[in-house]
Amino acid sequence: MGCAITILITPSLVRAHGFEGDRFFPPTIQTDDPFATDELSVGFQSFNNPAGSDGTPKTREIDVSSEFDKEIFPKFALGVSGTYINLDPQGHQGPAQDGFDNVEISTKYQLWEDAPHEWILSLGCLADLGDTGSKALGVDSFTTYTPTVYFGKGFGDLPDGLKYLKPFALTGTIGVSIPDQSANFDGSLNSDALQWGFALEYSMLYLQQHVEDIDLPKPLGDVIPLVEFSMNTPFDRSGETTTGTINPGFLWEQPDFQIGAEAVIPINAHTGPNIGAVFQVQFFIDDLFPKVFGHPLFFGGDK
Amino acid sequence: MKLRQKLFLAVGLFIACATLAEAHAFLDYADPEVGGTVKGSPSVVKIWFTRKIAGASSKIEVFDAKGAEVDRKDAQVDTSDKHLMSVSVPKLPAGNYKVVWNAVCLDSHHTTGTFTFEVAN
Repeated sequence: MGCAITILITPSLVRAHGFEGDRFFPPTIQTDDPFATDELSVGFQSFNNPAGSDGTPKTREIDVSSEFDKEIFPKFALGVSGTYINLDPQGHQGPAQDGFDNVEISTKYQLWEDAPHEWILSLGCLADLGDTGSKALGVDSFTTYTPTVYFGKGFGDLPDGLKYLKPFALTGTIGVSIPDQSANFDGSLNSDALQWGFALEYSMLYLQQHVEDIDLPKPLGDVIPLVEFSMNTPFDRSGETTTGTINPGFLWEQPDFQIGAEAVIPINAHTGPNIGAVFQVQFFIDDLFPKVFGHPLFFGGDK
Repeated sequence: MKLRQKLFLAVGLFIACATLAEAHAFLDYADPEVGGTVKGSPSVVKIWFTRKIAGASSKIEVFDAKGAEVDRKDAQVDTSDKHLMSVSVPKLPAGNYKVVWNAVCLDSHHTTGTFTFEVAN
């Protein structure tokens, strides 16, 4: 199989990462970026869950997650991700639980691009596969599908009078999560929900490479400060309210990898009682292993 | 071997294998500087990249404010420093100029970019 894959890789010019014109859109932590490229990430997240209305205690949650995406056809990628969860009930209300969350698979297709104006629009679908995780964690027994629209817009096309705003970029996702089972055996309801989020970023790399070299010393010149908003709005059955987090932080870009760190600030008490933190390492596997990654598996060519 | 040791070993091996790679090149710095102003015309526009560049498909073009190409179309990668690519230009009158670059790395990954500079009298 490995040989077959190698043979199918074409020797033409290739681009992976997330480029649109002059703009490099970095992979963001809480909201998925719009690019169907080869990616490998490892994440670590720690936060508190509020006590549930069903009597479940407040818990401290630590997640170690990983995601791998592979471009199969030009501009079309498949992904798989998994998360190992540790749940520690607070106040000595039972033993800690740990295990894998349900496996998630994803598809994404770059539908429309406008390089001079740094625009991109993509379509995709996520599937959280029911009963593939640890039962001790109480993972969902049903599968949830989330058809999603992804977008990205860089502001490098602003007039020169606003040149210091050119490093700004906005990416976002809007999706609807649809459980394949509307009610559980215990009578609780599974709600359809709007999954939406966006990331506003200011790229010091873009400033230095395309606008004005202001001699920023390293590592400051390799940093992208950003704030992400990740929201969930149920809109039927359960009567629940919007939950979500605001996540200010930064990404530090290196040739082969990216390190990101963000605070996780709940928007309301339904989301959680305390501020958490997330830390992620993203490997640019197209740069690390350029002979293997950074190419579509089939029909590879210049993107 | 404990789980933590195994994880460190795995990450170490991953990075050790990876450091052999030479893929996407980004602009490191340029002369004239990105967005900068130079007194008098430069004779050469130089760009240093973060990776080594393959000469065959890489190029730098320089355009004046009207969009006319003004470089001498002799872009080349420096033989002693493959991070450096340059193109010569004739004596440029005062004005704004746009540089368009296309860098192809040894592994055929390519990147493109633009920036401007100003020539002042």
